[in-house]
Amino acid sequence: MFQKIQNWFDERIELTELIKEFNGERIPRRGGWVYTFGSLLAFLFTVQVATGIFLLFYYVPYFPMARNATYYLKHHVLFGNILLGIHLWGAFAMIFFLLVHMSRVYFSGAYKKPRELQWVAGMVLFSVVVVLGLTGYMLIGNENSWWTINVLTNVASHTPVVGGFLRIIVRGGTETSVLTMQHIFAVHVWLLPIIVIMFIPMHLLFIRKTGHQGMALEYKNSKLSDDDINKWKHPDATVPFFPDQFYKDIIIALAVFGVVYILAVVYGAAIGPMYRPLALNFAPEADWYFLANEELLKYFPGHGLIVFSTFLIPTIGFVILFALPFIDRGHERSPFKRPAATVLGILFLLLLVYLTLIGGEPKAPATV
Amino acid sequence: MTKSSEESPSRRTFMMVVIGLISVAIGVALAIPIMGEVLNPLFKRRDIVWSELGKVSDLENIEPLVPKFVPVYFRVKEGWTVNTLPRQVIVVKDIAGKLYFFSNQCTHLGCPLHWIPERQKFMCPCHGGMFNVLGEVVGGPPPRPLFAWVYKIENGAVLIQNKFLDNPKERGV
Repeated sequence: MFQKIQNWFDERIELTELIKEFNGERIPRRGGWVYTFGSLLAFLFTVQVATGIFLLFYYVPYFPMARNATYYLKHHVLFGNILLGIHLWGAFAMIFFLLVHMSRVYFSGAYKKPRELQWVAGMVLFSVVVVLGLTGYMLIGNENSWWTINVLTNVASHTPVVGGFLRIIVRGGTETSVLTMQHIFAVHVWLLPIIVIMFIPMHLLFIRKTGHQGMALEYKNSKLSDDDINKWKHPDATVPFFPDQFYKDIIIALAVFGVVYILAVVYGAAIGPMYRPLALNFAPEADWYFLANEELLKYFPGHGLIVFSTFLIPTIGFVILFALPFIDRGHERSPFKRPAATVLGILFLLLLVYLTLIGGEPKAPATV
Repeated sequence: MTKSSEESPSRRTFMMVVIGLISVAIGVALAIPIMGEVLNPLFKRRDIVWSELGKVSDLENIEPLVPKFVPVYFRVKEGWTVNTLPRQVIVVKDIAGKLYFFSNQCTHLGCPLHWIPERQKFMCPCHGGMFNVLGEVVGGPPPRPLFAWVYKIENGAVLIQNKFLDNPKERGV
């Protein structure tokens, strides 16, 4: 019976061949568990799309209503709290594992020739996902959303030359208004997800085209020198993507999904009070992944220096990250054979953690 | 029958030029209305209104150098809606009796200021900006003194406009 169905498809579209082609990719063998983060991110993104679409059944992108629509979804819709919680904790998990995935790729030198384009495509995905997180935070329509919109559009206004125009375009006027929410909604729900959906297949296609390139430990038996491009084409041992690698991928996916689900059920998504522009004692807070940047904003006083924290440092940081494979052109892959890159990477991560940890606290009282 | 591109190189060039031109034409034709839609806010005049804050006689009775937060409500057109924008006005009277009307948004990135009486300062809860009671920067990252509202006094009432004095970059209220 199944054979018949299979034959029917095979006669027409060679389905079996197609599936074999897709699943049969050879993956270097030793690093199996470390290579699961990419698939994990694809999985988490799918979860975000699935939950996001159904959140739209109740959500209204209109400032005076958005927060109450979200509140209704959480408290009066059957399992709405779980759906909203998965969308929130799934987003957090996505940003966290993006950083893990990037660090893994960085420290194992996997962005080096011939995989430069893949790194660039990955950086596009990273940038877009962070903006997706920020816009999601703004869409709740609570107090933090209101002030985050104001603060971030003001940050944008410090872009040289076009800053003032940029703020007006993003806000849909000089004030944060109904159009602001509408714009953010369109960006969060349509524009950015479509970019992600376009770049994930590109990111994957590049893997297939560049072949199986693994971490340095995959090449222990190789007699070739590190400078020989052929060395990186022949890992000591490989396994097929399906089922060997997929088996590991799905175990990791289940583990992370389990944690996300538990956090969603136990903690859910905090909605917070309605926005009140008149509040006298409200202290806006950013999400955890933005705290490092938030901290940076405290250090550059006055007209001339603000542009460092709002534009120059983040932009230079992103440009360096995007251009990383073109800056670091050595052929060494092992983190131990390129100590400069490894030490810089570790220092950068420590700085990021440090800024994040102190970023949540207002700096004011200490400097009076 | 016309020749295929494989039979005639010039035919191939011609077809490629036509494909390119048509793609560009369609792209430009789509981009114009999209850009117009996106850039539209730049060409819109913003709705400027006056709103009453209170009686001058009441405001003149406040204690000198103790800021008073007074809400003001602007009824303005925003996109396709007419909305009420509630905003705080910080009313301060100096020693000479002159009244100041400041906005409570930090001039750094716009967070809502807190008045801390023990320190006699406005503090920004976001990035640590500090202002004294007359709106001058005394610490932290803000680049300029507090924004002052455009105001006028008519028939004994203070009217506030949804607009700041000395606001070259058109920071929203």
